[in-house]
Amino acid sequence: MGFLSPWFLAGALAVGIPIYLHLLRRHTTTPQPFSSLMFLEHRTQSSIRHRRLRYLLLLSLRLALLVLLALAFASPYINRPAASASGDKLLLLAIDNSFSMRAGSRLADAKREALSVLADKSPAGRAQIVAFGSQVNVLTQPVEDATTLRAAVESIAPGDSRGSLGELAHAVRSIAQNVRAPIELHVFSDMQKSGMPANFAEMVLPDGVSLVLHPVVKSSVPNWTVENVNAPGEVWDPKKARVQAVVAGYGTPAATRSVSLVVNGKTIAMRSVAVPASGRASVEFQSLDVPYGFSRCEVRIDSADSLRADDAYTFAVGRFDPQRVLFVHDASDTRSPVYFGSALAAAAESAFAVDSVSTERAANTQLGPYALVVLSDVSSLPSSFENDLLRYVRGGGGVLIAAGTSSARRSRIPVFGDNILASHYYSREAERFVAVGETDASSPPAGKAVQWAGVRFYYATAVDAANSRVVARLTDQTPLLLDKKIGEGRVMLLASGLDNLTNDFPLHPIFVPFVEQTARYLSGTERRGGSRPVDSFLDLRTAKEQAVSVEVIDPTGHRPLSLKEATSASSYQLTQAGFYELHLANGRQDVVGVNADRRESDLAVIPDDVLSLWTGKPKEAPPASAVGQEPARQQLKPRSLWWYAMLLVLAAAVAESLLASRYLGVQREEE
Amino acid sequence: MQRFLDPSVLGAISGLDLVAKTVVDGFVAGLHRSPDFGFSQEFAEYRAYSPGDDLRHVDWNVFARTERAYLKRYRGETNSLLTVLLDASNSMNYTSHGVSKMDYARFTAASLFYLAIRDQRDAAGLIVFDDEVRNYIRPSIRQGQLQRLLSGLELAEPHARTDFAKPLHHFQEFLRRRGIVLMISDFYESPEKVIRTIEPLRFHGNEVVLFHVLDPKEIRPDLGEPAVLVDLETREHLEVTPEYMRNEYRRKIDAHIEALRDGARSAGMDYHLLVTDQPLDGALREYLTIRQGRN
Repeated sequence: MGFLSPWFLAGALAVGIPIYLHLLRRHTTTPQPFSSLMFLEHRTQSSIRHRRLRYLLLLSLRLALLVLLALAFASPYINRPAASASGDKLLLLAIDNSFSMRAGSRLADAKREALSVLADKSPAGRAQIVAFGSQVNVLTQPVEDATTLRAAVESIAPGDSRGSLGELAHAVRSIAQNVRAPIELHVFSDMQKSGMPANFAEMVLPDGVSLVLHPVVKSSVPNWTVENVNAPGEVWDPKKARVQAVVAGYGTPAATRSVSLVVNGKTIAMRSVAVPASGRASVEFQSLDVPYGFSRCEVRIDSADSLRADDAYTFAVGRFDPQRVLFVHDASDTRSPVYFGSALAAAAESAFAVDSVSTERAANTQLGPYALVVLSDVSSLPSSFENDLLRYVRGGGGVLIAAGTSSARRSRIPVFGDNILASHYYSREAERFVAVGETDASSPPAGKAVQWAGVRFYYATAVDAANSRVVARLTDQTPLLLDKKIGEGRVMLLASGLDNLTNDFPLHPIFVPFVEQTARYLSGTERRGGSRPVDSFLDLRTAKEQAVSVEVIDPTGHRPLSLKEATSASSYQLTQAGFYELHLANGRQDVVGVNADRRESDLAVIPDDVLSLWTGKPKEAPPASAVGQEPARQQLKPRSLWWYAMLLVLAAAVAESLLASRYLGVQREEE
Repeated sequence: MQRFLDPSVLGAISGLDLVAKTVVDGFVAGLHRSPDFGFSQEFAEYRAYSPGDDLRHVDWNVFARTERAYLKRYRGETNSLLTVLLDASNSMNYTSHGVSKMDYARFTAASLFYLAIRDQRDAAGLIVFDDEVRNYIRPSIRQGQLQRLLSGLELAEPHARTDFAKPLHHFQEFLRRRGIVLMISDFYESPEKVIRTIEPLRFHGNEVVLFHVLDPKEIRPDLGEPAVLVDLETREHLEVTPEYMRNEYRRKIDAHIEALRDGARSAGMDYHLLVTDQPLDGALREYLTIRQGRN
């Protein structure tokens, strides 16, 4: 124990004041008059009896008050070791259940070693079990019950997430703040190098935490994996579908690996690929002959390594008939169907089949089979066809209108309905062209991959945008792309043409994603199938689909969403590798293949010097043999007793006030 | 009526005349129930008329029968001379309960004067003394004598200390006529010296009565803790303990009282202890007893 400001202890001399008040002042007796001292003799009381202290309790309180006050101002503290008695220490067992722990018997070894550590725990000692991958899962609270702790260890199952020692350190810091006791952290892991955070500082443990590592492997082991697969999520023409796979080796010698494409459990193609030492090799399958509907596909290699789980890469493919698009244009316009059709074919991989018709022939066209109608700068439109279009839109159809120079002769945009205010021929003006000024990134046609930079617009039709949503504007604030909902359908207006005359938009690469996203947006189709990594999130509903139930079936066949989550959750985290089946709010069905993060396939371990740096012990230091006997970092932490002293001062002051009031009250009565 | 004799009640009455009247009236009302005491209008004797006697006192019935003039004498008309010697030393100022010894002495003296002058038609006088004679009012039955005496009592403020020897020769000058001498004092002097000093007054045929006025706390002091006491006369300080006051002091004061009583009796004087929390009738009763004995 010490004092931060010992000079304040001199204030304790003030105890003389109450002693004076009680002892000396009380006995300065006031002389009492008496008739005569004739019969009296001088008698002095013995000092002990005469000078007896009165109100001993009150005096004691006053002395205590002054001494405590001086003590409080002297700021007493006691030095407490950061990790003191083992009885106060929390034994924290962190077991790695990331994807890489599936290799060989790593997880079983880790659990066995954790159980042996628990067996050495003193009966009165508290322990807590956590499992960690990309997140830390707290399995028990700090408890003494060995049975509960053992059951928690045995319940740990291998996961598919990526191990993160940074997340573990973050969780330990939180636990240390809550526990307020020394922590002995035992980490049971394969110490995978990829589990380290980018910044070593994220792994630093707080004071009071002593780290004991239990690596289940001592060195790196070679491992092959299917690192990535590039396959379409939807297929409309199996002959045009391609599947590309990348086979990677970590710490492996050069070898030839056999790669097979498996669809719904049946191997439909097989290739051999030579993989260089610790290198990568790609393999391509020229067709993906899958039946209609969703197929569960995987690319598999014969690796014969310890981590078999990463030898297959899963992905889902849905086969559907292509959707038809009616492209209506003037007979004289032969350019725009080419640009639009090429862009759609390039982007959507035959998801859409474009039917180009001239304005004159469009009058007899039945619009029912079409998922989308495009009006490309039509100068005139038969009224019957326009009425059919309106009914088509109100019934849920989508229409894209390109208003090029032909619109200058009209006063109103057909179907869209808004009036034409002006026609801007920028090529005739000083600036020659304008660019896109601002866009609404929340709208699918303008958002995501569409970058409008560098696109020049030479002509634009200015329309009254009072009743529609402006998705993009030119730099002169002329609305370029407008969106309007009519009935159940939707109409978009591009205030320029698609013919590479009124702008150079079709020549820019962004034209392709623009056309694809606009077609998907207006036709109501989105990407399905494909693959996702573990721990990624899946959108379950849009903002308009609230309170509509969705259903998720995980790879094990369970429905992980509760009833409340099924009607309210907007996203779902994919935590397991395998195929997830989704029944979404709009009635669509989807299947996605989920694969573990392939960084987990690199089984290289953290170098010993880094581990020594993390544990804070020299490299040569032997590992701890007995739990709770390891000398923790005996940092002496001063713990201030100021608050306790002030609390005692307060208590003494209150008691003194009450007691003094009582005595004074008695004196008043006596008076 | 007894409550009118209570000193604490009398202390609340402002005028000495009213105090005296209250005391005496209350005392007399109590006496009527006693057969042992005669009164002033009670027949005592016949005396032959001599020239100069007041004809109003001639018993004309006897004169009619005997043709001799006799004066009818009553007991009350056996004139006595009452002189009160009042000690006005500082020690008389002591009090423990609101009525000081001086007040009590004033009440006693005033009551005695009232009783003597109004009821007994005795001549009464007053000598106030401490270490000197401070005031002297010649005994008389003249009109206004009572008022003069009461005024003398009012003016008798204690100061200085008691010294019986010094004013003694003045007493002897003043007390040439035979009568009753009442000395009211706390007698803080050795009993032998007190008796020796006062005894000469007895030689003139005076009936001398010592009224020893003491506060109850002087007889039975009650100290809760050691205290420093100050002598009211000498201003000396003395630290005393409760144990001493409980034991030795009580024994000494009792011995002092006893010595005074014995000394007075052996010298042919009467002694009466007046405690200031006791009713005043004791003093009056003593006076009447003595007076009756004289007649």
